[in-house]
Amino acid sequence: MTPVLPSAALASAARVVRRVLAQPAAAVSVAFLLAITVLAFTAGLLGLDPLEQDMLAMLEGPSAAYPFGTDELGRDILARVIFGARTSLTTAAGAVLLAAAIGVPMGLVAGFFGGWRDVALMRVVDLMLALPGIMLALALIAVLGRSQSAALVAVGLTGVPTFARVARAQVLSLRKRDFVTAVEAFGATSSYSMFRTILPNSWSPILTQMVVLSSVAILLEAALAFLGVGIPPPTPSWGEMLRTGKEYLYDAPTYAVLPGVALTLTILSFDTIGRALSSVLEGRDTAVPQPRAERA
Amino acid sequence: MKTVLSTVRGVTRRTLLGSVAAGAALALSATPLLAQQVQGGTLRVAVLADIANFDPHQFSFVNATLIKNLYDSLIEYTPDGRAMPSLAESWTVAPDAKSVTLKLRGGVKFHSGGTLDAEAVAANFKKASDPRLGKNLFPTMSIVQDWTVVDPSTIRLNFKNPVPERQITDLLQFTTIIDPAGIETVEQRPAGSGAYTLAERVVGQRIRLTANPNYWRPNEPVSKEVVITIFSQDQAATAALESGGVDVIYGGTARSASRLKAAGYPVLDGPGPLVQVFRINSTRGPFRNAKFREAFNFLMDRENILRIGYAGLGQVVALPWAPSSPAHDPGYARTYGFNLDKARELLRQSGLSPAEMNDWKLTVNAGDQPSVAISQLVQQTLRRVNITIELDMKEGSELVNSMLEGRFDALFGGIGNIQKFPSRVATNSIYRTANNPVLKDPHPHPEYVDAIRRVDTTLGSGPEVKAAYDHLNRTLIQAAFGIPTNTYDQGIIVTAKTVAGFTLDMDNMLVLRTTGFRR
Repeated sequence: MTPVLPSAALASAARVVRRVLAQPAAAVSVAFLLAITVLAFTAGLLGLDPLEQDMLAMLEGPSAAYPFGTDELGRDILARVIFGARTSLTTAAGAVLLAAAIGVPMGLVAGFFGGWRDVALMRVVDLMLALPGIMLALALIAVLGRSQSAALVAVGLTGVPTFARVARAQVLSLRKRDFVTAVEAFGATSSYSMFRTILPNSWSPILTQMVVLSSVAILLEAALAFLGVGIPPPTPSWGEMLRTGKEYLYDAPTYAVLPGVALTLTILSFDTIGRALSSVLEGRDTAVPQPRAERA
Repeated sequence: MKTVLSTVRGVTRRTLLGSVAAGAALALSATPLLAQQVQGGTLRVAVLADIANFDPHQFSFVNATLIKNLYDSLIEYTPDGRAMPSLAESWTVAPDAKSVTLKLRGGVKFHSGGTLDAEAVAANFKKASDPRLGKNLFPTMSIVQDWTVVDPSTIRLNFKNPVPERQITDLLQFTTIIDPAGIETVEQRPAGSGAYTLAERVVGQRIRLTANPNYWRPNEPVSKEVVITIFSQDQAATAALESGGVDVIYGGTARSASRLKAAGYPVLDGPGPLVQVFRINSTRGPFRNAKFREAFNFLMDRENILRIGYAGLGQVVALPWAPSSPAHDPGYARTYGFNLDKARELLRQSGLSPAEMNDWKLTVNAGDQPSVAISQLVQQTLRRVNITIELDMKEGSELVNSMLEGRFDALFGGIGNIQKFPSRVATNSIYRTANNPVLKDPHPHPEYVDAIRRVDTTLGSGPEVKAAYDHLNRTLIQAAFGIPTNTYDQGIIVTAKTVAGFTLDMDNMLVLRTTGFRR
């Protein structure tokens, strides 16, 4: 029942990172995501302006002044792709955190208490799963209006059922384990058991889901923007650039292609890291079957 | 022909019989020449949307592909705005301008075999004056008191008040005649007298027309068959033209038309474009301030709006008129050109605080790429005069409801009927003089309502008419609840190099009866 020591947790996390980075595809993906994240959040320091219009340089191809070319308003496509990464990454991060913040407690409560709580919460989850994610997001945006926070909430809510189910499955598998029974025998409250005993031992699949859902969230945010209900212009967004760029495919092919490439690589990177993380975490569980609380 | 009509107008401005006969003779004499230049065949046309229905009184743009091919109007306009006979062989305006007598063409048969006569025309006037059935024709009929069938080939329209000549011809040109036997079912089944008859329709895919063997215009239609294919993507239609899959694209985007034009494909833009207008709800926020509104006359970067939104195809304008409108005055576009210094001065004179100036949103038609682009251009321009606003993206019914209920501060929207009698601009929601859905009643700009009334009641063709138009133009600029930026053509025609012989329609509808392949 003693909490996991920080140093032990750090050492464990470092081991996981090392094993993930040992996989070449995952290492490249991490490097790409790090690079694009750093670029996205420091682009202003590089003097890039995604809103500056140059009416004398509309729909131009790549040049020294504009390495990715310009859009229909003479704006720098490179700047817009980089700032578009900021939009995608912040929306995805926020959405995944929101989904986890709602979904994980839902799953914990449903799995831990069972009975009517389990039935009620799981029917809510079933209802959410019955609606295609994009439909649910479209309906939410119709209510909330078009903004980054609306997109974040819409994308986030579509991820809630996944986290709820994963967390519930973890609780059901851990609920009758000895270390949980022991904690309860010592008089631990339900919330202590759920959040201090079971949850710390459920992070592996939840973490994997967070990484995988990041790619889904980025894709969904881009899809909403492509359908014209994403973040309103002039804020750059990859999906919005794809939507507009396809209108100018003949005049400026880079306009649609480059945001598409950035989107694909980012999703691919998250997916690759998610797979690597999953394999590493599953491997660790096999190697060290004891839950952390018992080890401590 | 222009000289003939001008002379006639100068001498007997109300009696057009002579001019009409001359016009008819010239129109008919043009046909053999055309026949020498083009030959028939199967004309393949690409459009980007299916029709809404077959009712020619519903002027949805999607219906513009068929209206003038399945039906005929009472009269037609030449591209420069001269009235020409069609189903009405002649028309005579009464000396008091309170009625017009139409002499109908003899021997015209509907596709059903029925004969065109005054009773058939009367049945159409009855439909047009019914608010439920009249559709776009209904507002135009507001000047009509009643009608009298004089004899089987003559009908007289009586007006509530004296009506300017051009307003009468607008009404006649607007009135397409439906076979009375088919009026009840016209939405589902065409019932016209036009050059083509409907042979086949596969909803969402294609429409096939075949030549009307009993058509009253000699040697027309030139092409015996027309196949209209509906493409969902502009690029696909463009590729079809380039690969020889279609002969004509109607209603494609300006950007594609511009590119095809550069590649040597003939591009035709008719005399009836729309005008893009920055619509201002002068009952809300800072737009209640007249000086603030006036500043927007100078804040519109019209040249770049035309370039970005419409690939440069069109003209910059500061007034809501097409070049063929009698009120068109290109001088205003020069006087009220893009000028940030003048705008800043007017903004200063408005006395509004920066917070007040920023307290509005620009609503954008998210489904219309030109509107999205030009709205972003305006947003950026406004930043240069320290006005920071957000774009409020809307589309579909949400946008339409906002537009028609006045739930917006400002937005770009095209307006039509700008090539005809100037007061017809008041058929557009923002320019309505009564029951204005945006500005509401009582109209907040009574000077504009008076200016329209003056145009409507100034008869003749002398300097007093010009003065009424000038007065309206000045009023529009000062009231500044609509800031026109440019003309643009919704019905651009791009053709293969082998196709020729187009008749340009005043409303930019597709007219194919004279179109064929070069010999």
